[in-house]
Amino acid sequence: MRFILEINLRGSGRDMNEKIKISTRNLSVFYGPKQALFDINLDLVENKVTALIGPSGCGKSTFIRCLNRMNDVIDLCKVEGSIKVDGKEINTKNTDVNLIRERIGMVFQKPNPFPKSIYDNVAYGPRIHGLAENQEILNTIVENSLKKAALWNEVKDRLNQPGTGLSGGQQQRLCIARAISINPEVILMDEPCSALDPIATAKIEELIDELKKSYTIVIVTHSMSQAARVSQNTGFFHLGKLIEFNLTEKIFKNPDNKMTQDYITGRFG
Amino acid sequence: MNLVILSFILFFSLSFFFIGKARVLRLANYNIKNLNSLPEYYGYYLAAWCALPALIILFFWSIFELSIIKIFVLSDFKLDPTIDDNKLNLIFSQIVSIAEKKFSGTIPQNLIPYVEKFIALNKIIELSKFAVLFSAIILSLIFAYRQILKNIKARESVEKIIRGLMFLCATLAIFTTFGIVLSLLFESIKFFTSVSIFDFLTGTNWAPGRAFVRDASVQTANVENVFGAIPLFWGTTFIAAIAMCVAVPVGLFSGIFLAEYSSRKFRKITKPLIEILAGIPTVVYGFFAALTVGPLFRLVGEKFGLEVSSESALAAGVVMGIMIIPYVSSLTDDVINAVPNSLREGSFAIGATKSETIKKVVLPAALPGIVGSILLAISRAIGETMIVVMAAGLAANLTLNPLEASTTITTQIVTILIGDQSFNNPKTQAAFALGITLFFFTLFINVIALSIVKKFREKYE
Repeated sequence: MRFILEINLRGSGRDMNEKIKISTRNLSVFYGPKQALFDINLDLVENKVTALIGPSGCGKSTFIRCLNRMNDVIDLCKVEGSIKVDGKEINTKNTDVNLIRERIGMVFQKPNPFPKSIYDNVAYGPRIHGLAENQEILNTIVENSLKKAALWNEVKDRLNQPGTGLSGGQQQRLCIARAISINPEVILMDEPCSALDPIATAKIEELIDELKKSYTIVIVTHSMSQAARVSQNTGFFHLGKLIEFNLTEKIFKNPDNKMTQDYITGRFG
Repeated sequence: MNLVILSFILFFSLSFFFIGKARVLRLANYNIKNLNSLPEYYGYYLAAWCALPALIILFFWSIFELSIIKIFVLSDFKLDPTIDDNKLNLIFSQIVSIAEKKFSGTIPQNLIPYVEKFIALNKIIELSKFAVLFSAIILSLIFAYRQILKNIKARESVEKIIRGLMFLCATLAIFTTFGIVLSLLFESIKFFTSVSIFDFLTGTNWAPGRAFVRDASVQTANVENVFGAIPLFWGTTFIAAIAMCVAVPVGLFSGIFLAEYSSRKFRKITKPLIEILAGIPTVVYGFFAALTVGPLFRLVGEKFGLEVSSESALAAGVVMGIMIIPYVSSLTDDVINAVPNSLREGSFAIGATKSETIKKVVLPAALPGIVGSILLAISRAIGETMIVVMAAGLAANLTLNPLEASTTITTQIVTILIGDQSFNNPKTQAAFALGITLFFFTLFINVIALSIVKKFREKYE
């Protein structure tokens, strides 16, 4: 059985001015002989939060790792199909992956601050890409990034202490600050709250809401309520296929697909 | 004799293992549920109580047995002031070998009464050993047997016994180290009574052979100024430094390549191949240095109009460096592999290239381990003997020129102690003084290494 999805955005009462930031067509991923994603066609709207939900192993993380070409790092992983960012194909051999990753940042499931000071963690990206001509500009970038990540007030007095010494939620916000320090266009978040307690989760969700004003955000989550709270569009994955993609409201209130309905109401998955 | 006793003890404890197990099963009416622990734990309990006290007594008995007999046998000689400790030991070993019928040559008649005394005493001591051991076994068995009849928690007791045994093994290693240090220390102290420690540590003239030349022309050369160890310290440091100049860059880069760049297949083949370098006997490296590398350097040097002695610090250092490459590369590879992948991904995700990621994230995170591996390699280089003996020469030159012959602490220890030596003159005792200096040298390096590693850990964890 094959699900062919017609994404009829115009028909579902969408804003006509929306701009598509990233679009994938017939995106398939193989780990060696095993196919992990099947012909994914999906459009990510600029300055909106898109949530990807689905049971474990359904390919959500594999999908977002395609968008900044992080799957290149994995041996045996082969990505086929088209990924366009601002209408430009990025899934080619000639694409500079480092430039893609500069434009499309990523936050991981487990907070992974570098074993450096808080300051150096945030300054890492700007230093590599030469974004700051002098120390003062760098200081400003670090301060602004930490402020945007809602961490500034908690760490401003101890910027030279190790980032690994922060609490889990603070570490994750530090990673978000690190990701936004180079001013990307898109932020991919791979289950950013799964290792955090509810209070830290609430903080991150608040932050996502704030960040979507300046960035396009894709978030993979296992929490249905989180998807409902933070996202405008939601995609439901199952066994490597995109089953349904629609406005979050529609997905949670009146999904077109029976499987989506079952998953959301907790009948399987 | 002790072997027989040992096998008896083992046999006893083995049988009491089964006896204990069976007894406790009977006690529980053959229903394990009535017991606090599984039946074999009661067996172990009984067996341990049977063997351990006896073994401990046997151990200490064997240590003190001979010295107690010695005190009694030699009590007459002690009164004679003309006989010193060395002579006493000699007499006693003669007595022992006569008693054991291993003495070759004519037996000195004056010793015969003492030999008889020795044999008689030995018999008494052997008998009392049996008696004490037997009663110890009986007593502890009675105690343990009563315990298991009370259905104690044998599982926990066995746990404690095992813990105790492991503790014993751990302390054994520590005591051995102490023993080594002490034996070095006593000989060194003897040395430092005839040569001042200050002259030893600061003198620049090393010629221990001259200490005994009674030739008129060198009559003035007294004991003090031929034991200056500075040239040796310098030679050791110098050759180790040359070795590190080879081993650190090559080892570090090959380790990084193996861990980060090479394909899995390549690494699987290459890593063991590099590790073979560490398995080559150092004597073979010595050949290599003395017969291939040394002459090669000389040849190349002559082309450039340089005077290279065929035994040079450079040849020894370079070959030693090759030898310790695997220490650095293998450990570097392991340490880099231990850096969590999430850090690499975090760096890639910001658009860093592979080499940027390695330079700025992976290496700093792996630094404590890398520093540790380098320091390990240094202490290996300092302690290395064979290569320097064969390739660096014996001349104690105090020179900055790597093309000249040089010598190290270890080389001098070897040359001093080779052949027939008596251990009561400053020349041979100097070897112990060098040994203990070397020991403190490497200890110092290890302490520094540990403190660096600790500091980095505090910073990064």
